[in-house]
Amino acid sequence: MASAYGARVLWIAVLAGLVFLGLQLIRPTLTNPPVTAELQAPPEVRAVLRQSCYSCHSNETKLPWFDQVVPAYWIVTKDVKEARAHLNFSEIGKLPAPQQKAALYEAVNMIQLGAMPLPSYLRVHPGAAVSAENLKVLRDYLNPPAPAGAAAAADTSAADAQYKGWIAASNQTLTVKASPNGIEFLPDYKNWKTISSTDRYDNHTMREILGNDVAVKAIAENHINPWPDGTAFAKVAWAQQPDGKGVSQTGAFIQVEFMIRDSKKYASTKGWGWARWRGTDLKPYGKDADFSKECVGCHEPVRQNDYVYTMPLGGQQ
Amino acid sequence: MRVRMKLLAPGMVFLCSVLGCAKTNPRVVTTLNTGAMLNGALPANPIQGRVITSWIDKNAGTMSTLYGNDVAVQYARTGAQVGYPAGSALSVVTWTQKEDPRWFGGNIPAAAKSVEYVTIAADKHYTYQRYEGSPLKQVDQEAGVTPNDRESYLLSQRAAVMP
Repeated sequence: MASAYGARVLWIAVLAGLVFLGLQLIRPTLTNPPVTAELQAPPEVRAVLRQSCYSCHSNETKLPWFDQVVPAYWIVTKDVKEARAHLNFSEIGKLPAPQQKAALYEAVNMIQLGAMPLPSYLRVHPGAAVSAENLKVLRDYLNPPAPAGAAAAADTSAADAQYKGWIAASNQTLTVKASPNGIEFLPDYKNWKTISSTDRYDNHTMREILGNDVAVKAIAENHINPWPDGTAFAKVAWAQQPDGKGVSQTGAFIQVEFMIRDSKKYASTKGWGWARWRGTDLKPYGKDADFSKECVGCHEPVRQNDYVYTMPLGGQQ
Repeated sequence: MRVRMKLLAPGMVFLCSVLGCAKTNPRVVTTLNTGAMLNGALPANPIQGRVITSWIDKNAGTMSTLYGNDVAVQYARTGAQVGYPAGSALSVVTWTQKEDPRWFGGNIPAAAKSVEYVTIAADKHYTYQRYEGSPLKQVDQEAGVTPNDRESYLLSQRAAVMP
Protein backbone atom coordinates (compact mmCIF):
# COMPACT_ATOMS: atom_id res chain seq x y z
CA MET A 1 0.00 0.00 0.00
CA ALA A 2 2.67 2.42 1.14
CA SER A 3 4.98 1.49 -1.72
CA ALA A 4 2.18 1.94 -4.31
CA TYR A 5 1.57 5.41 -2.90
CA GLY A 6 5.29 6.17 -3.02
CA ALA A 7 5.52 5.06 -6.63
CA ARG A 8 2.62 7.30 -7.55
CA VAL A 9 4.29 10.28 -5.89
CA LEU A 10 7.51 9.46 -7.68
CA TRP A 11 5.70 9.28 -11.01
CA ILE A 12 4.05 12.63 -10.45
CA ALA A 13 7.39 14.14 -9.50
CA VAL A 14 9.07 12.76 -12.61
CA LEU A 15 6.20 13.96 -14.79
CA ALA A 16 6.30 17.44 -13.22
CA GLY A 17 10.05 17.49 -13.75
CA LEU A 18 9.63 16.60 -17.41
CA VAL A 19 6.96 19.24 -17.89
CA PHE A 20 9.26 21.78 -16.20
CA LEU A 21 12.13 20.82 -18.50
CA GLY A 22 9.85 20.88 -21.52
CA LEU A 23 8.68 24.39 -20.64
CA GLN A 24 12.29 25.54 -20.65
CA LEU A 25 12.24 25.04 -24.42
CA ILE A 26 9.55 27.68 -24.84
CA ARG A 27 11.83 30.67 -24.89
CA PRO A 28 10.80 33.97 -26.44
CA THR A 29 13.89 35.61 -27.92
CA LEU A 30 15.55 38.37 -26.01
CA THR A 31 18.54 39.82 -27.80
CA ASN A 32 20.80 42.75 -27.04
CA PRO A 33 20.70 44.98 -30.11
CA PRO A 34 23.72 47.27 -30.61
CA VAL A 35 24.05 50.36 -28.45
CA THR A 36 23.43 53.02 -31.08
CA ALA A 37 23.13 56.25 -29.09
CA GLU A 38 23.71 56.04 -25.39
CA LEU A 39 22.32 58.68 -23.07
CA GLN A 40 24.49 61.80 -22.97
CA ALA A 41 25.21 62.35 -19.30
CA PRO A 42 28.21 62.50 -16.96
CA PRO A 43 29.79 59.14 -16.07
CA GLU A 44 28.58 59.22 -12.45
CA VAL A 45 24.99 59.61 -13.64
CA ARG A 46 25.36 56.76 -16.09
CA ALA A 47 26.92 54.59 -13.38
CA VAL A 48 23.77 54.94 -11.25
CA LEU A 49 21.50 54.17 -14.19
CA ARG A 50 23.70 51.25 -15.18
CA GLN A 51 23.40 49.74 -11.71
CA SER A 52 19.64 50.20 -11.27
CA CYS A 53 17.99 50.67 -14.66
CA TYR A 54 20.08 49.25 -17.50
CA SER A 55 19.07 45.64 -16.92
CA CYS A 56 15.69 46.43 -18.45
CA HIS A 57 16.00 49.94 -19.94
CA SER A 58 18.95 49.38 -22.26
CA ASN A 59 20.33 47.05 -24.92
CA GLU A 60 22.81 45.70 -22.36
CA THR A 61 20.53 43.30 -20.54
CA LYS A 62 22.42 40.75 -18.43
CA LEU A 63 20.19 38.09 -16.92
CA PRO A 64 21.38 36.26 -13.80
CA TRP A 65 20.91 32.46 -13.93
CA PHE A 66 17.65 32.51 -11.97
CA ASP A 67 16.09 34.83 -14.54
CA GLN A 68 16.99 32.32 -17.27
CA VAL A 69 14.65 29.72 -15.78
CA VAL A 70 11.06 29.53 -16.99
CA PRO A 71 8.67 30.93 -15.80
CA ALA A 72 10.89 33.76 -14.43
CA TYR A 73 12.38 34.07 -17.92
CA TRP A 74 8.96 34.76 -19.45
CA ILE A 75 8.24 37.54 -16.95
CA VAL A 76 11.66 39.13 -17.38
CA THR A 77 11.48 38.97 -21.19
CA LYS A 78 8.12 40.71 -21.20
CA ASP A 79 9.32 43.34 -18.70
CA VAL A 80 12.49 44.09 -20.64
CA LYS A 81 10.61 44.49 -23.93
CA GLU A 82 8.09 46.86 -22.31
CA ALA A 83 10.85 48.76 -20.51
CA ARG A 84 12.88 49.27 -23.69
CA ALA A 85 9.84 50.44 -25.61
CA HIS A 86 9.20 53.12 -22.98
CA LEU A 87 12.76 54.23 -22.28
CA ASN A 88 15.97 52.83 -23.73
CA PHE A 89 19.19 54.38 -22.44
CA SER A 90 21.13 52.74 -25.31
CA GLU A 91 19.17 54.64 -27.94
CA ILE A 92 17.94 57.79 -26.20
CA GLY A 93 21.11 59.70 -27.19
CA LYS A 94 19.61 60.37 -30.62
CA LEU A 95 16.89 62.57 -29.08
CA PRO A 96 17.42 66.30 -28.48
CA ALA A 97 19.10 67.09 -25.14
CA PRO A 98 15.93 68.51 -23.50
CA GLN A 99 14.08 65.27 -24.25
CA GLN A 100 16.90 63.23 -22.74
CA LYS A 101 16.66 65.36 -19.60
CA ALA A 102 12.88 65.00 -19.52
CA ALA A 103 13.34 61.23 -19.50
CA LEU A 104 15.71 61.56 -16.56
CA TYR A 105 13.26 63.76 -14.65
CA GLU A 106 10.63 61.11 -15.19
CA ALA A 107 13.08 58.44 -14.05
CA VAL A 108 13.84 60.32 -10.82
CA ASN A 109 10.13 60.70 -10.14
CA MET A 110 9.43 57.04 -10.74
CA ILE A 111 12.26 56.19 -8.32
CA GLN A 112 11.14 58.68 -5.66
CA LEU A 113 7.54 57.50 -5.81
CA GLY A 114 8.65 53.91 -5.41
CA ALA A 115 7.36 52.86 -8.82
CA MET A 116 10.80 52.04 -10.25
CA PRO A 117 12.67 49.75 -10.22
CA LEU A 118 9.48 47.66 -10.20
CA PRO A 119 8.88 46.54 -6.60
CA SER A 120 8.40 42.96 -7.84
CA TYR A 121 11.80 43.16 -9.57
CA LEU A 122 13.51 44.63 -6.51
CA ARG A 123 12.39 41.75 -4.32
CA VAL A 124 14.48 39.36 -6.41
CA HIS A 125 17.17 41.86 -7.43
CA PRO A 126 17.80 43.91 -4.28
CA GLY A 127 21.09 45.18 -5.74
CA ALA A 128 19.12 47.31 -8.22
CA ALA A 129 17.67 49.48 -5.45
CA VAL A 130 18.56 53.16 -5.81
CA SER A 131 20.24 54.34 -2.63
CA ALA A 132 19.58 57.82 -1.25
CA GLU A 133 23.12 58.72 -2.27
CA ASN A 134 22.62 57.58 -5.86
CA LEU A 135 19.27 59.35 -6.07
CA LYS A 136 21.06 62.53 -5.04
CA VAL A 137 23.53 62.08 -7.90
CA LEU A 138 20.64 62.06 -10.38
CA ARG A 139 18.85 64.99 -8.70
CA ASP A 140 21.99 67.12 -8.51
CA TYR A 141 22.70 66.56 -12.18
CA LEU A 142 19.21 67.71 -13.16
CA ASN A 143 19.04 70.52 -10.61
CA PRO A 144 22.27 72.45 -10.79
CA PRO A 145 22.38 75.59 -8.60
CA ALA A 146 20.36 78.38 -10.19
CA PRO A 147 22.47 80.59 -12.45
CA ALA A 148 23.11 84.08 -11.13
CA GLY A 149 21.00 86.74 -12.80
CA ALA A 150 17.67 86.55 -14.53
CA ALA A 151 16.97 84.49 -17.63
CA ALA A 152 17.15 86.52 -20.81
CA ALA A 153 13.85 87.93 -22.02
CA ALA A 154 12.20 85.54 -24.46
CA ASP A 155 10.78 86.53 -27.79
CA THR A 156 7.16 87.48 -27.17
CA SER A 157 5.93 87.46 -30.76
CA ALA A 158 4.36 83.97 -30.69
CA ALA A 159 2.58 84.61 -27.39
CA ASP A 160 1.48 88.09 -28.51
CA ALA A 161 0.02 86.80 -31.77
CA GLN A 162 -1.78 84.04 -29.92
CA TYR A 163 -3.22 86.46 -27.36
CA LYS A 164 -4.46 88.85 -30.04
CA GLY A 165 -6.11 86.03 -31.96
CA TRP A 166 -7.77 84.74 -28.80
CA ILE A 167 -9.13 88.16 -27.82
CA ALA A 168 -10.33 88.81 -31.37
CA ALA A 169 -12.19 85.49 -31.37
CA SER A 170 -13.59 85.91 -27.85
CA ASN A 171 -17.12 86.54 -29.14
CA GLN A 172 -17.10 83.34 -31.20
CA THR A 173 -17.72 79.78 -30.09
CA LEU A 174 -15.00 77.40 -31.14
CA THR A 175 -16.05 74.04 -32.57
CA VAL A 176 -13.92 71.46 -30.82
CA LYS A 177 -13.61 67.80 -31.82
CA ALA A 178 -14.17 65.19 -29.12
CA SER A 179 -11.21 63.28 -27.74
CA PRO A 180 -10.63 59.88 -29.46
CA ASN A 181 -12.04 58.16 -26.36
CA GLY A 182 -15.34 60.03 -26.80
CA ILE A 183 -14.85 62.67 -24.12
CA GLU A 184 -16.27 66.02 -25.19
CA PHE A 185 -14.42 69.26 -24.60
CA LEU A 186 -15.62 71.20 -21.53
CA PRO A 187 -15.32 74.89 -22.51
CA ASP A 188 -16.40 76.10 -19.07
CA TYR A 189 -13.14 74.85 -17.51
CA LYS A 190 -11.76 78.39 -17.56
CA ASN A 191 -14.41 79.41 -15.02
CA TRP A 192 -13.60 76.63 -12.56
CA LYS A 193 -11.79 77.38 -9.34
CA THR A 194 -8.10 77.05 -8.56
CA ILE A 195 -6.99 73.77 -7.04
CA SER A 196 -3.28 74.51 -7.29
CA SER A 197 -0.59 75.83 -9.59
CA THR A 198 2.81 74.52 -10.61
CA ASP A 199 6.07 76.00 -11.79
CA ARG A 200 7.44 73.25 -14.02
CA TYR A 201 11.02 74.35 -14.41
CA ASP A 202 11.87 70.91 -15.80
CA ASN A 203 10.14 71.74 -19.08
CA HIS A 204 9.77 75.54 -18.81
CA THR A 205 6.01 75.50 -18.45
CA MET A 206 3.61 76.80 -15.82
CA ARG A 207 0.24 75.39 -14.97
CA GLU A 208 -3.01 76.18 -13.22
CA ILE A 209 -5.01 73.23 -11.99
CA LEU A 210 -8.71 74.05 -11.90
CA GLY A 211 -11.60 72.07 -10.49
CA ASN A 212 -15.37 72.06 -11.02
CA ASP A 213 -17.90 72.54 -8.17
CA VAL A 214 -17.88 68.83 -7.27
CA ALA A 215 -14.10 68.95 -6.89
CA VAL A 216 -14.19 72.14 -4.82
CA LYS A 217 -16.86 70.70 -2.49
CA ALA A 218 -14.81 67.51 -2.09
CA ILE A 219 -11.78 69.59 -1.07
CA ALA A 220 -13.83 71.69 1.36
CA GLU A 221 -15.04 68.46 2.99
CA ASN A 222 -11.64 66.77 2.63
CA HIS A 223 -13.13 63.80 0.79
CA ILE A 224 -10.45 63.46 -1.83
CA ASN A 225 -9.63 59.75 -1.89
CA PRO A 226 -11.49 58.52 -3.76
CA TRP A 227 -12.75 61.70 -5.39
CA PRO A 228 -16.54 61.64 -5.79
CA ASP A 229 -18.10 60.84 -9.16
CA GLY A 230 -18.64 64.03 -11.11
CA THR A 231 -15.29 65.51 -10.10
CA ALA A 232 -13.51 67.18 -13.01
CA PHE A 233 -10.06 68.76 -13.14
CA ALA A 234 -8.51 70.84 -15.87
CA LYS A 235 -4.77 71.38 -15.99
CA VAL A 236 -3.88 74.32 -18.19
CA ALA A 237 -0.28 74.66 -19.36
CA TRP A 238 1.51 77.68 -20.78
CA ALA A 239 5.09 78.28 -21.79
CA GLN A 240 7.02 80.30 -19.23
CA GLN A 241 7.75 83.72 -20.71
CA PRO A 242 10.77 85.26 -18.94
CA ASP A 243 10.70 89.07 -18.94
CA GLY A 244 14.46 89.42 -18.51
CA LYS A 245 14.06 90.77 -14.96
CA GLY A 246 13.48 87.50 -13.17
CA VAL A 247 9.74 87.17 -13.66
CA SER A 248 8.17 84.54 -15.88
CA GLN A 249 4.70 85.28 -17.13
CA THR A 250 2.20 83.00 -18.83
CA GLY A 251 3.35 82.79 -22.43
CA ALA A 252 1.82 80.79 -25.25
CA PHE A 253 -0.99 78.41 -24.34
CA ILE A 254 0.17 74.82 -24.81
CA GLN A 255 -2.67 72.54 -23.78
CA VAL A 256 -5.52 71.80 -21.43
CA GLU A 257 -5.87 68.33 -19.93
CA PHE A 258 -8.86 66.86 -18.13
CA MET A 259 -9.49 64.15 -15.57
CA ILE A 260 -13.19 63.36 -15.14
CA ARG A 261 -14.29 60.98 -12.39
CA ASP A 262 -16.96 58.38 -13.11
CA SER A 263 -16.18 55.09 -11.43
CA LYS A 264 -18.59 53.10 -13.64
CA LYS A 265 -18.32 54.80 -17.02
CA TYR A 266 -14.53 54.94 -16.88
CA ALA A 267 -13.97 51.72 -14.94
CA SER A 268 -11.52 50.44 -17.58
CA THR A 269 -9.25 53.49 -17.12
CA LYS A 270 -9.09 53.47 -13.31
CA GLY A 271 -12.34 55.37 -12.82
CA TRP A 272 -11.18 58.49 -14.65
CA GLY A 273 -11.87 59.82 -18.11
CA TRP A 274 -8.67 61.31 -19.58
CA ALA A 275 -8.47 63.90 -22.32
CA ARG A 276 -6.09 66.51 -23.69
CA TRP A 277 -6.52 69.27 -26.24
CA ARG A 278 -3.47 71.04 -27.63
CA GLY A 279 -2.90 74.50 -29.12
CA THR A 280 -5.37 77.35 -29.44
CA ASP A 281 -7.20 75.35 -32.12
CA LEU A 282 -7.76 72.69 -29.43
CA LYS A 283 -6.70 69.64 -31.38
CA PRO A 284 -7.64 66.46 -29.51
CA TYR A 285 -4.65 64.38 -28.44
CA GLY A 286 -4.26 60.71 -29.32
CA LYS A 287 -4.58 58.54 -32.41
CA ASP A 288 -7.27 56.36 -30.89
CA ALA A 289 -8.89 55.63 -27.53
CA ASP A 290 -5.76 53.74 -26.50
CA PHE A 291 -3.97 56.99 -25.68
CA SER A 292 -5.63 56.79 -22.23
CA LYS A 293 -3.18 53.99 -21.42
CA GLU A 294 -0.38 56.55 -21.63
CA CYS A 295 -2.21 58.78 -19.12
CA VAL A 296 -2.88 55.91 -16.73
CA GLY A 297 0.73 54.73 -17.05
CA CYS A 298 2.11 58.09 -15.95
CA HIS A 299 -0.39 58.37 -13.09
CA GLU A 300 0.21 54.80 -11.91
CA PRO A 301 2.78 55.82 -9.24
CA VAL A 302 0.04 57.83 -7.48
CA ARG A 303 -2.65 55.13 -7.70
CA GLN A 304 -2.93 55.10 -3.92
CA ASN A 305 -3.91 58.75 -4.14
CA ASP A 306 -6.72 57.92 -6.59
CA TYR A 307 -4.35 58.55 -9.52
CA VAL A 308 -4.13 62.28 -8.74
CA TYR A 309 -0.76 64.04 -8.56
CA THR A 310 -2.05 67.46 -7.47
CA MET A 311 -2.08 68.26 -3.77
CA PRO A 312 -5.09 70.62 -3.60
CA LEU A 313 -4.85 73.95 -1.80
CA GLY A 314 -6.64 73.84 1.53
CA GLY A 315 -9.20 76.51 2.48
CA GLN A 316 -11.57 75.89 -0.39
CA GLN A 317 -14.86 77.29 0.98
CA MET B 1 -2.03 32.51 21.95
CA ARG B 2 0.49 35.25 22.53
CA VAL B 3 3.29 32.80 21.81
CA ARG B 4 1.65 31.80 18.56
CA MET B 5 1.42 35.45 17.47
CA LYS B 6 5.08 35.90 18.27
CA LEU B 7 5.91 32.92 16.11
CA LEU B 8 3.71 34.26 13.31
CA ALA B 9 5.25 37.71 13.23
CA PRO B 10 8.53 36.79 11.47
CA GLY B 11 6.50 34.74 9.02
CA MET B 12 4.32 37.75 8.24
CA VAL B 13 7.37 39.93 7.73
CA PHE B 14 8.79 37.33 5.37
CA LEU B 15 5.49 37.06 3.47
CA CYS B 16 5.32 40.84 3.20
CA SER B 17 8.82 41.06 1.82
CA VAL B 18 8.11 38.38 -0.77
CA LEU B 19 4.60 39.41 -1.80
CA GLY B 20 4.97 43.14 -1.21
CA CYS B 21 2.32 44.28 1.22
CA ALA B 22 0.57 47.54 0.40
CA LYS B 23 2.74 50.30 1.81
CA THR B 24 2.06 53.84 0.70
CA ASN B 25 5.06 55.90 -0.28
CA PRO B 26 5.02 59.00 1.99
CA ARG B 27 5.03 61.23 -1.09
CA VAL B 28 1.77 59.66 -2.27
CA VAL B 29 -0.16 59.85 1.02
CA THR B 30 -3.44 61.71 0.42
CA THR B 31 -3.33 65.20 1.87
CA LEU B 32 -4.38 68.77 1.19
CA ASN B 33 -1.71 71.42 0.78
CA THR B 34 -2.57 72.99 4.13
CA GLY B 35 0.72 74.89 4.31
CA ALA B 36 -0.47 77.10 1.43
CA MET B 37 -3.82 77.92 3.06
CA LEU B 38 -4.70 81.57 3.46
CA ASN B 39 -5.01 82.14 7.19
CA GLY B 40 -6.13 85.46 8.59
CA ALA B 41 -9.07 87.83 8.56
CA LEU B 42 -9.28 88.48 4.83
CA PRO B 43 -12.11 90.55 3.32
CA ALA B 44 -12.71 87.83 0.68
CA ASN B 45 -11.29 84.42 -0.24
CA PRO B 46 -9.28 85.06 -3.42
CA ILE B 47 -9.29 81.45 -4.58
CA GLN B 48 -13.06 81.68 -4.94
CA GLY B 49 -12.44 84.00 -7.89
CA ARG B 50 -11.68 83.05 -11.48
CA VAL B 51 -8.13 82.94 -12.79
CA ILE B 52 -6.98 85.83 -14.94
CA THR B 53 -3.31 84.94 -15.10
CA SER B 54 -0.29 83.91 -13.05
CA TRP B 55 3.44 84.58 -12.87
CA ILE B 56 6.55 83.30 -11.18
CA ASP B 57 9.21 85.50 -9.61
CA LYS B 58 12.37 83.43 -9.94
CA ASN B 59 14.49 85.85 -7.88
CA ALA B 60 12.05 86.00 -5.00
CA GLY B 61 11.14 82.31 -5.28
CA THR B 62 7.42 83.09 -5.33
CA MET B 63 4.45 82.30 -7.53
CA SER B 64 1.41 84.53 -7.92
CA THR B 65 -2.07 84.02 -9.28
CA LEU B 66 -4.33 86.93 -10.24
CA TYR B 67 -8.04 86.33 -9.76
CA GLY B 68 -11.02 88.43 -10.74
CA ASN B 69 -14.76 88.73 -10.27
CA ASP B 70 -17.13 88.39 -13.24
CA VAL B 71 -16.74 92.03 -14.34
CA ALA B 72 -12.95 91.86 -14.24
CA VAL B 73 -12.71 88.48 -15.97
CA GLN B 74 -15.14 89.53 -18.69
CA TYR B 75 -12.93 92.53 -19.43
CA ALA B 76 -9.63 90.65 -19.22
CA ARG B 77 -10.70 87.87 -21.57
CA THR B 78 -12.40 89.98 -24.23
CA GLY B 79 -10.54 93.28 -24.16
CA ALA B 80 -13.95 94.80 -24.88
CA GLN B 81 -12.80 98.22 -23.65
CA VAL B 82 -9.65 99.98 -22.55
CA GLY B 83 -8.98 99.47 -18.87
CA TYR B 84 -10.85 97.53 -16.22
CA PRO B 85 -14.40 98.86 -15.83
CA ALA B 86 -16.02 100.05 -12.60
CA GLY B 87 -17.18 97.11 -10.52
CA SER B 88 -13.97 95.13 -11.14
CA ALA B 89 -12.54 93.35 -8.13
CA LEU B 90 -9.18 91.66 -8.44
CA SER B 91 -7.05 89.79 -5.97
CA VAL B 92 -3.54 88.38 -6.11
CA VAL B 93 -2.12 85.69 -3.95
CA THR B 94 1.67 85.40 -3.83
CA TRP B 95 2.91 82.14 -2.43
CA THR B 96 6.43 81.11 -1.53
CA GLN B 97 7.41 77.91 -3.33
CA LYS B 98 8.36 74.42 -2.32
CA GLU B 99 9.44 71.40 -4.29
CA ASP B 100 6.48 69.34 -5.42
CA PRO B 101 6.99 66.13 -3.44
CA ARG B 102 5.19 64.22 -6.17
CA TRP B 103 7.01 65.73 -9.13
CA PHE B 104 10.70 66.51 -8.99
CA GLY B 105 11.07 69.27 -11.59
CA GLY B 106 8.09 71.22 -10.31
CA ASN B 107 7.44 73.77 -7.57
CA ILE B 108 4.09 74.24 -5.88
CA PRO B 109 2.68 76.85 -3.48
CA ALA B 110 3.97 76.89 0.10
CA ALA B 111 3.10 79.53 2.75
CA ALA B 112 1.40 82.64 1.37
CA LYS B 113 3.62 85.71 1.36
CA SER B 114 0.96 88.26 0.56
CA VAL B 115 -2.61 88.77 -0.58
CA GLU B 116 -3.55 91.95 -2.40
CA TYR B 117 -6.90 93.37 -3.43
CA VAL B 118 -7.68 95.98 -6.07
CA THR B 119 -11.22 97.24 -6.47
CA ILE B 120 -12.58 99.83 -8.83
CA ALA B 121 -15.67 101.54 -7.46
CA ALA B 122 -18.57 102.91 -9.49
CA ASP B 123 -17.07 106.40 -9.35
CA LYS B 124 -13.77 104.95 -10.68
CA HIS B 125 -12.08 105.21 -7.28
CA TYR B 126 -9.28 102.68 -6.87
CA THR B 127 -8.79 100.87 -3.58
CA TYR B 128 -5.68 98.86 -2.81
CA GLN B 129 -5.24 96.56 0.18
CA ARG B 130 -2.29 94.38 1.06
CA TYR B 131 -2.09 91.59 3.63
CA GLU B 132 1.10 89.91 4.85
CA GLY B 133 2.35 87.70 7.64
CA SER B 134 1.09 84.60 9.35
CA PRO B 135 -1.77 84.94 10.03
CA LEU B 136 -2.26 87.42 7.19
CA LYS B 137 -2.80 90.96 8.49
CA GLN B 138 -3.47 94.18 6.65
CA VAL B 139 -0.24 96.10 6.08
CA ASP B 140 -1.37 98.65 3.53
CA GLN B 141 -4.55 100.34 2.39
CA GLU B 142 -4.72 103.10 -0.18
CA ALA B 143 -7.48 104.77 -2.13
CA GLY B 144 -7.42 107.31 -4.91
CA VAL B 145 -8.82 108.44 -8.22
CA THR B 146 -5.80 107.04 -10.03
CA PRO B 147 -4.18 103.64 -9.48
CA ASN B 148 -0.92 103.56 -7.51
CA ASP B 149 2.18 101.94 -9.04
CA ARG B 150 1.41 98.49 -7.75
CA GLU B 151 -2.21 98.69 -8.92
CA SER B 152 -1.03 99.83 -12.35
CA TYR B 153 1.32 96.86 -12.53
CA LEU B 154 -1.41 94.39 -11.54
CA LEU B 155 -4.01 95.93 -13.84
CA SER B 156 -1.58 95.77 -16.78
CA GLN B 157 -1.17 91.98 -16.56
CA ARG B 158 -2.95 90.57 -19.56
CA ALA B 159 -5.11 87.49 -19.26
CA ALA B 160 -3.58 84.07 -19.78
CA VAL B 161 -4.88 82.54 -23.01
CA MET B 162 -7.58 79.97 -22.20
CA PRO B 163 -9.37 78.90 -25.38
